[in-house]
Amino acid sequence: MSNLSLKYKDTLDLYDDHSNCIAKEVPLQALSPLYNPYMREVLNLFKRTAFIDLAKLEQYVKSGRAGWETVVGQDEIQMPWYGRDLPMVERSEEIAERIKEKIAKFDDGEEELVKPVAGGKLIIVKIPRRMMEVSASRDPPLTWTMVALCQAISETFNLNPETDPDGCNMVRGAIFGRYPQSPELPPGGPVFGLLRQSNIVDGLGSGFRGIMVNHIVALVNKRTMDGVALATILEQGAQWEMGNVLGWFERYNLLASAYQGFNANNLVLDLVLENREGTIGDVARSTVKRAVEDGVIKVKKTFPSGYKVYSTSDYPLWNAYGCAGVLAAVIVNVGASRAAQSVSTVTGYFGDHLIFETGGLPDPDTGRIEGTGIGYAFYTHSIYGGAGPGAYTLDHVVVRSTSGFLTPCVVAGMCLDSGTQLFSPEMTSSALFKIRDHMPLLNEPLKKVAEAAEKVKGELTKA
Amino acid sequence: MKVMHVASEKREEKSEFEPQIYPGQDEVSERRRKLWDKRRRLTKYRDVPDDDITRLLGHRPVGALYVSVHPPLDELIEPYDPIKSLVAPTPGARAGDRIRFAQFSDSFWHPPITPYARQRLYFNRLRGVDVVTYSGRTMLEMRERDLETAVKPLIETEVFNPARTSLKGITIHGHSLRLDEDGLMFDARRRFVYDKETGEVVYIKDQFGKVLDRPVPVGRPPSEEECRKLSITYSWDTRQFKSRTEVIELISRVANMRVLAGFNPESINEEI
Repeated sequence: MSNLSLKYKDTLDLYDDHSNCIAKEVPLQALSPLYNPYMREVLNLFKRTAFIDLAKLEQYVKSGRAGWETVVGQDEIQMPWYGRDLPMVERSEEIAERIKEKIAKFDDGEEELVKPVAGGKLIIVKIPRRMMEVSASRDPPLTWTMVALCQAISETFNLNPETDPDGCNMVRGAIFGRYPQSPELPPGGPVFGLLRQSNIVDGLGSGFRGIMVNHIVALVNKRTMDGVALATILEQGAQWEMGNVLGWFERYNLLASAYQGFNANNLVLDLVLENREGTIGDVARSTVKRAVEDGVIKVKKTFPSGYKVYSTSDYPLWNAYGCAGVLAAVIVNVGASRAAQSVSTVTGYFGDHLIFETGGLPDPDTGRIEGTGIGYAFYTHSIYGGAGPGAYTLDHVVVRSTSGFLTPCVVAGMCLDSGTQLFSPEMTSSALFKIRDHMPLLNEPLKKVAEAAEKVKGELTKA
Repeated sequence: MKVMHVASEKREEKSEFEPQIYPGQDEVSERRRKLWDKRRRLTKYRDVPDDDITRLLGHRPVGALYVSVHPPLDELIEPYDPIKSLVAPTPGARAGDRIRFAQFSDSFWHPPITPYARQRLYFNRLRGVDVVTYSGRTMLEMRERDLETAVKPLIETEVFNPARTSLKGITIHGHSLRLDEDGLMFDARRRFVYDKETGEVVYIKDQFGKVLDRPVPVGRPPSEEECRKLSITYSWDTRQFKSRTEVIELISRVANMRVLAGFNPESINEEI
């Protein structure tokens, strides 16, 4: 880090979700995934972790189910005559030990790479950093885990072409499905990562967006601002990977993700507090008022009717205020109805209120939030079909078209839902509620981002 | 754990900022400002009893209990999150009501409000709303009891024209069609009729097109002259091009700035 140059003079105070200041005067770059060690660790964890649902696998092998093509059609193909009664959960320690033998020997031994949890029903696998460094992709969590699992089961239960050829095929089919004839691994299958497999994510650099909103909600146990922070880390990780944050857009993305995602200067919570009994329109006006008070925008001219037209010399900062405003509006509106369905509506039309309050200053993400939000509203309200807001992955074609500032709002909305959704986190992501207990790194991400920023502050300022 | 939330800094109480809602000097602009400014009261035109509102919505029989989708919030055990206690829930959310909807359709012909204007009105005046605007319709989804409370003023005040605004839960088509011989907006399900004796528009079906036990009168349609006076749309026979100079300047500016800022956010300066 010695060659760092501190390009931007902006410094920010970071607040937790109790509105306590946890890091003071942090330089803007400390919130970039390139410099913030916590963000780097989180992205790394998402890249190199996989899970084995042994209980599920045992059930599939027992009932002869394999090769399904959709998440809701997991009983599409049933071959009970090939079913094998293999007590995998019971012998999970042994299976885990055998997987460990194959995977963990490439690591320096500081981390526990293979860990059976939940009474052996689930195994968490992390791939050695050495392998991740030499691989061209982020595929090893899936490939390594699946191959090691097949071998471990074969060894544990003495399954081989001589003892039981059909049993071998059954186990392989339940784990790999129709792969590679079909490019997708079985949806909702027994081996899965935190991110979608790379060959079905389209768009260069979209890898970190391959996760469902509800998964993020489950990983933070429905704690709103933590969910926002985690979604922002992933979204901004993807933005950097896509090249969207270079040059002209670096300060733009850093500021907006700081204000919206990491509660910089407590702006989001100030706006929520001011409007705890208010409406979405009230939040828009509070956002403009705060921007005027902070000198971000000022009156340029007055129309004959007395209407004031505002201008700004710091558009990235005004955009950050707008992005924080839209999140605050989501919290205020969903907080009032405690029903997540309105999150698309708020993101879709909030910008319009800012435009008409400021005399035409561009709305959040130069209108991309509004455009994406309106389309998203159509797809979450059965106008064009679709699903509940929580069932979308961040890279879904309907929600992907912003600079990473829409989905954190969706996560916030889903965290605040009190149980009105058909696609609830409990339904789509129940395993992740259990998994989070074994991933201490993901505990209180908002606080940890701030603490990590505080830690690198000295180094960055010195440079 | 006790949660203490305090605003990050003490701010000056007096601010230069005043909500401005909408530009323009003409009457249409003024009408828009009035409808969207929650500090201003909407003029009441008619009385429709609460039970009739419930009938029109067609979600529950009059007098029936509200169906809930989850236990009341006070009894709900949720994981810890300080934000959940920050915002005051609406009465419907507090009780765990299911979500229901009302859908209004607004005619092309000098209506008192338009679909997009509804979205702005709902956003400014109502809490806990879910609004989607599409073509000639605006859907409003809320917790059931909140919805009933919200719909009442939408039917009783100046934003409702019995002939040219209608409650259409399904089969909405018709907002751009000619008005019928009684001056009513087209409705394929004939939910409302003009009662020549009383001179009022009467709903004979609820918003889903199900026949009501008892018709619900929603008042006399205003005269053509009054419709024009209350109209919220700019058109060649009411408020013309010249009168909307300010708003045109505004939307041209934002179109221009969105492109420039989207191309390079650092290119925006005070002169634009």
